[in-house]
Amino acid sequence: MTMTKKGASRRSVLRGSAALAGTALVTPHFFVKNAWAQGECATVGNFPVEGPTVTFGFNVPMTGAYADEGADQLRALQLAQKHINEGGGILATLQPLALTGQGVLGKQVVHVTGDTQTNPDAARQSARRMIERDGVIMFCGGSSSATAVTRQYLAQEMGIVYMHGLTHANETTGVDRRRYGFRQFFNTHMTGLALGPILANEYGGDRAAFHLTADYNWGHSMSGSIKDATEAQGWNTVGNIATPLGATDYSQFLVSVLNSDADVLILNHYGNDMVNSVTQAVQFGMRDLQKNGRDVQIVVPLYSRLMARGAGDNVEGVFGTTNWNWTKDNPGALAFVSAFEEEYGFPPSQAAHTAYVQCILYANACEMAGTFYAPEVIRTLEGMTYSGDGYDSESLYRAEDHQSFHDILVVRGKAPSARTSEFDLLQIVDTVPRSVVEYPIDTFPGELGEYCPA
Amino acid sequence: MSTTSDDRSAGGIAAPAGDRGGILEVFKREPVALAAFTIVIFSMPLWIPVLGGYEGLATLIVIWGIFVLGFDILLGFTGYLSFGHAAFFGGAAYVTGFMYRDVSDNVIVAFVASQVGTLILAVVIGLLAMRRTGIYFSILTLAFAEMLFAAALSIFAPLTGGYDGMTRLQEPNLFGVKMDGLTIFYIAAAMLAIGYAMALRLRNSPFGVMLRAIKENPMRLEYTGINVWRYKMAAFIISAHYAGVAGFLMVTYEPYVATKFLHWSTSGEVVIMSVIGGVGTLVGPIIGAGFVLYFQNVVQAVIGEQWRLILGLVFVFVVAFLPGGFVDLARMVWKATGNRLRARRHNVPDMELTETKYGTEERLR
Repeated sequence: MTMTKKGASRRSVLRGSAALAGTALVTPHFFVKNAWAQGECATVGNFPVEGPTVTFGFNVPMTGAYADEGADQLRALQLAQKHINEGGGILATLQPLALTGQGVLGKQVVHVTGDTQTNPDAARQSARRMIERDGVIMFCGGSSSATAVTRQYLAQEMGIVYMHGLTHANETTGVDRRRYGFRQFFNTHMTGLALGPILANEYGGDRAAFHLTADYNWGHSMSGSIKDATEAQGWNTVGNIATPLGATDYSQFLVSVLNSDADVLILNHYGNDMVNSVTQAVQFGMRDLQKNGRDVQIVVPLYSRLMARGAGDNVEGVFGTTNWNWTKDNPGALAFVSAFEEEYGFPPSQAAHTAYVQCILYANACEMAGTFYAPEVIRTLEGMTYSGDGYDSESLYRAEDHQSFHDILVVRGKAPSARTSEFDLLQIVDTVPRSVVEYPIDTFPGELGEYCPA
Repeated sequence: MSTTSDDRSAGGIAAPAGDRGGILEVFKREPVALAAFTIVIFSMPLWIPVLGGYEGLATLIVIWGIFVLGFDILLGFTGYLSFGHAAFFGGAAYVTGFMYRDVSDNVIVAFVASQVGTLILAVVIGLLAMRRTGIYFSILTLAFAEMLFAAALSIFAPLTGGYDGMTRLQEPNLFGVKMDGLTIFYIAAAMLAIGYAMALRLRNSPFGVMLRAIKENPMRLEYTGINVWRYKMAAFIISAHYAGVAGFLMVTYEPYVATKFLHWSTSGEVVIMSVIGGVGTLVGPIIGAGFVLYFQNVVQAVIGEQWRLILGLVFVFVVAFLPGGFVDLARMVWKATGNRLRARRHNVPDMELTETKYGTEERLR
């Protein structure tokens, strides 16, 4: 392009002043962002919410090891958004209910998404983007305790409520608990409390267990909880090998198990690790083996649909626990499952359920508190009892550690012949009531921190 | 001594030491380049949001900018491709995290500690890895970084928090001033500007000439009686310190240490940023860092789950059609508009420009 230089043309003057105006509009944003402080804290996150909409952040793994679970969570979160805005789903069953099916506090919910990449650092960065750029009032979702813990610290620093997705390690509501983080999902300690008595009842009170444990915090948390719970029943733990995260060959570890006098193998693995380890254990002939005069058994403490499907016939009859299952037939579960099936054509996973419930619980708490001001919303959620969220009985959000207590399920893998569909993979052995898994607050140390972000 | 075009094409030391006009020209240009650079960096919080970014992204770009700048001193000047720079970034990050968690929340204490840590690491790794060149050097550095990574997750796990990373850090502050938002951005931006000025100075100094000479032909340099080892080591340590400063800033900005900081993928990301931007140009890698981070955090939200695929395609495209990186675009436009290229393209390893009496032509070595 050639330009004749004869001073500024009208067009360039216009263009220049538009650019200046744009800069001027953007500049104050940095200096007076939280100039409208209210209540006890100087500033709290992105409060107040301006305009006719309120933005939620859906921060789930789209890539990485747990991408499949992230995809299911995203479906559930979009459904939750729809139900908050238009009614439906568990809005018909949730008690106490303040939501009217017309948004939250008169505002329609819109959402932004971010990829945690199943990686704590990336999860933090994408959550930060939602908070700083997109102005979310809260964010939710995620899979893996490492990403959960780091984002919960960010939530506390920024004053944005974080409703956890799938995170099962004790630390999340134990030593790393934060005032701005809430977990609906159960934890390894609760798995132990639920599974221990049932294992002892089924397999006898004097078994010798060998653990293979994924070598990261969740694995160790899981192993420790199962060890405590089974030893309380009189079991003996004869070995525990830490296996690298993402290992594909477990033969060397399985040989150690075979050479020990253990007659129960406990696989503290999740995702593809579990699919590989349980498949190889079966190939080693462990399920046809006898030791100490008894059949050798395999236990998988935490089940997911992905795992049950990936392991196929190998998990037939294998015990484990889940937070929830779509075959529950209470009104809340039916409402959620039917809405989900109608929308997507197949039933939701437990990861989808926890994300869905969390999103709606937050919105409901805002409506109950009458404000998006985080300290008030947090106080509303703390100590709240509620029902109609997919469980047979009442659930509680404990105020002291932000752990939700509800029934959890002890399940066994279903035989292929007993399945009614490709999603019917787990048979519920027992619905363990909340009273059994509700542990004292001093079980784990930890400090929630302040109501004001810092 | 005058430099002829024959000397250049012979692939010898391009001898800017003799090319006095060239040096003077760079000296004259330096304040302009510096001023422009500083203005662009410091005004980032103003123009990044216009592009769909946000304050935190600006801070992130500046921190990674320091990291890749140091990396460019090693790769671009000296020609050593380190595949283990995460060791310094992550090492400094862990030292910083340790200071904030267990010792002091003062940033100066943490800064000094992290730099001492980086120096020790750089000397140890350098002494061993610098004995080899080319692919062996890359593999050695990679091995060291992976060893550190494995150690952080196993024997040091009680200290580092293992896979979950280091949490429960105190809030970093400088005598009561909190290190958040724009405060940490301007500190990081100032460090980047200083780092850039130092890199420019380095490039134009006799020391910088030595580094480029090492890249061209270390054996020939050795025969002239110069202690090549010392120069290589110095470049390696300087480069490591840039990574260490970036690691320190990262944890000061986000009081949390991710295991990923030590992971090989972090080393890989630095390589990708450098190649996309333009190796050996100093500004190029920073542009590359900006591009990759912008893509990861902003474009990702638009594309959804396929963003990695698209980023991979961009990388392939750049390597195939723009081997000099984004910075080379400017050069191409310059050439396409009928201008002659005067300088050699130091940043494209397998291609050089030679001036013949018929004009400029590209030839493959």
